[in-house]
Amino acid sequence: MKSRTTFYTALTYAAGLLCLAVFIGPILWFLALAIRPAETAFAMPPQLTFEPTLDAFRHILVDPGTNAPQLVNSLIVAIGAVLLNLPFSVPAAYALSRFKMRGKKNIMLWYLGLLMAPPIAFLIPYFVLITRVGLQGSYFSMVLVLQTLTIPFSVWLMKSFIDEVPAELEEAARVDGARWYTIMWRITLPIVRPGIIVTSMFAFVFAWNNAAFPLVLSSRSTATLPIGTLGYFATSGVTWNYIAAAAVLAMIPPMIIFLVFDRYVVRGLTFGSVKG
Amino acid sequence: MHAPTIRSPQALAPVRRGFVRRNLPYFLIAPSVIMLLALIAYPLLFALKSSFYFWNLQVGPQPLAFVGFDNYVEALNAFDFRAALTNTLILSILGTAIEFSLGLAIALVLLKALAGMNVVRALLILPTTIAPIVVGFLFRYLYDPGGGLVTWVLQSLLLPVPAEGILGSPSTALAAILFVDIWQWTPFFAIVLYASLLAVPDEIIEAARLDRASAWTILMRIKLPLIRRTAIIIVMLRFMQIFNTFDTVLVLTRGGPGTSTRTLGYSLYEQGLVNFNVGLVSAQTWIAVLIVNIIVVLYVFFAFRNEEW
Repeated sequence: MKSRTTFYTALTYAAGLLCLAVFIGPILWFLALAIRPAETAFAMPPQLTFEPTLDAFRHILVDPGTNAPQLVNSLIVAIGAVLLNLPFSVPAAYALSRFKMRGKKNIMLWYLGLLMAPPIAFLIPYFVLITRVGLQGSYFSMVLVLQTLTIPFSVWLMKSFIDEVPAELEEAARVDGARWYTIMWRITLPIVRPGIIVTSMFAFVFAWNNAAFPLVLSSRSTATLPIGTLGYFATSGVTWNYIAAAAVLAMIPPMIIFLVFDRYVVRGLTFGSVKG
Repeated sequence: MHAPTIRSPQALAPVRRGFVRRNLPYFLIAPSVIMLLALIAYPLLFALKSSFYFWNLQVGPQPLAFVGFDNYVEALNAFDFRAALTNTLILSILGTAIEFSLGLAIALVLLKALAGMNVVRALLILPTTIAPIVVGFLFRYLYDPGGGLVTWVLQSLLLPVPAEGILGSPSTALAAILFVDIWQWTPFFAIVLYASLLAVPDEIIEAARLDRASAWTILMRIKLPLIRRTAIIIVMLRFMQIFNTFDTVLVLTRGGPGTSTRTLGYSLYEQGLVNFNVGLVSAQTWIAVLIVNIIVVLYVFFAFRNEEW
């Protein structure tokens, strides 16, 4: 019996290690590409040791030439998307969590359905519309259309956090004569502050990782990091270390966010269907 | 505004407050709904109108002629669009099925509460956090025929690799794209299913074990039904995301070789943003929207039939 348990334990660890090798290995190999000398990128067999160099990062960050500082653009767009998102999604989530209403299921499913709209199909109409109102190439145009992704997701996520605040707290305040907005503003929202932070983080990552909208709506001076990688791909042959450096810059913030908020991320991804 | 003099303000107040109160939840939801409607209604109506015109931005800035349903006929008869539809269905059905099964298997491994397993779990989410376009570049590097890691590993294992590269051969390109999607999204399924399974009460499992239920029976009859709602939602979301895939295809193969990796998303990109064929791409958009909606409505109808909200 004992040896059987040991065998299964070993098997479980083997499975865990295999998962890490398959899912994390490629990421590490790509990270190495950004700091390896360009000529060793495609050495056969692969070279594990090399003289690390920060040339590619210097090119991307310090001396981008005619390219815009894409890191800054990405930050502006992603933070803007978060700030515009909250005033729309938090009240909706509060209502869906706290009030009985007719058609609630349909409303929830409607938000969910919006997450499935094909963004590519919307690009030409958005481009035409944004050009007509004279906002082409602006940060605001990107921040605005990103709401089609961030609002529906945030509503679901925020609702699951508000669901967990005990209704008794609100009841007590109501007995004391507080109005609903006082209750929402002074009691519920402060308690769900972690939920607001996590929702903001998800919205940030959605906006940060989105390539479709900036592809059409950004100009040369407002291009975000994903567009930057595409740029290095298109011009003058494939400059792999520049691509990798720009890609690594694009990868790091979402990774840090997901690792730091690990506990909440896991719960957030279940859309509040389970308590965890 | 003059208040009616017959009724005292005290009598009026409760009525007004009643109206606001009764509809308060709708007032709170309204801003987000109006915002979203404004953002999606325009593109949909724009595409609907343009789909009936011959309109190519390379030919002229305005629609040239009303052509009725010609764009739809042309789209549905075009060989490359039909190939895109087929590829998209293959990718979304296979991708969702494999990612769910593999993710479930990994979730069950993660549930074995062994030392160090939580580190594995925390790291495992990382592929999912990377932008699809960046994942495209990552795998373009790995698949490279002249020194890519995947190519090298396959050759070292003495497996046949096409001379024109994994992405260059029609026989392997679609599988390579499918593998990229599986690589990025299996961890997502694993983590979400793990979190859901964690919430299944131990007592129920214990009771089933006492009744001599096998591990397989416990999984199929108890665990999976209990995490049903989460599973339904993530399967639906993933299916639709793959259905709309275009960034990875753009970076990896541009739909080629031939039409072997052409997807609906990429087709929309190419017709719209490369060829600027606004009329045709609008018809394609509406065909895609209709297909997606039929699938989602059927799925939601059957999957959520017995759910309480």
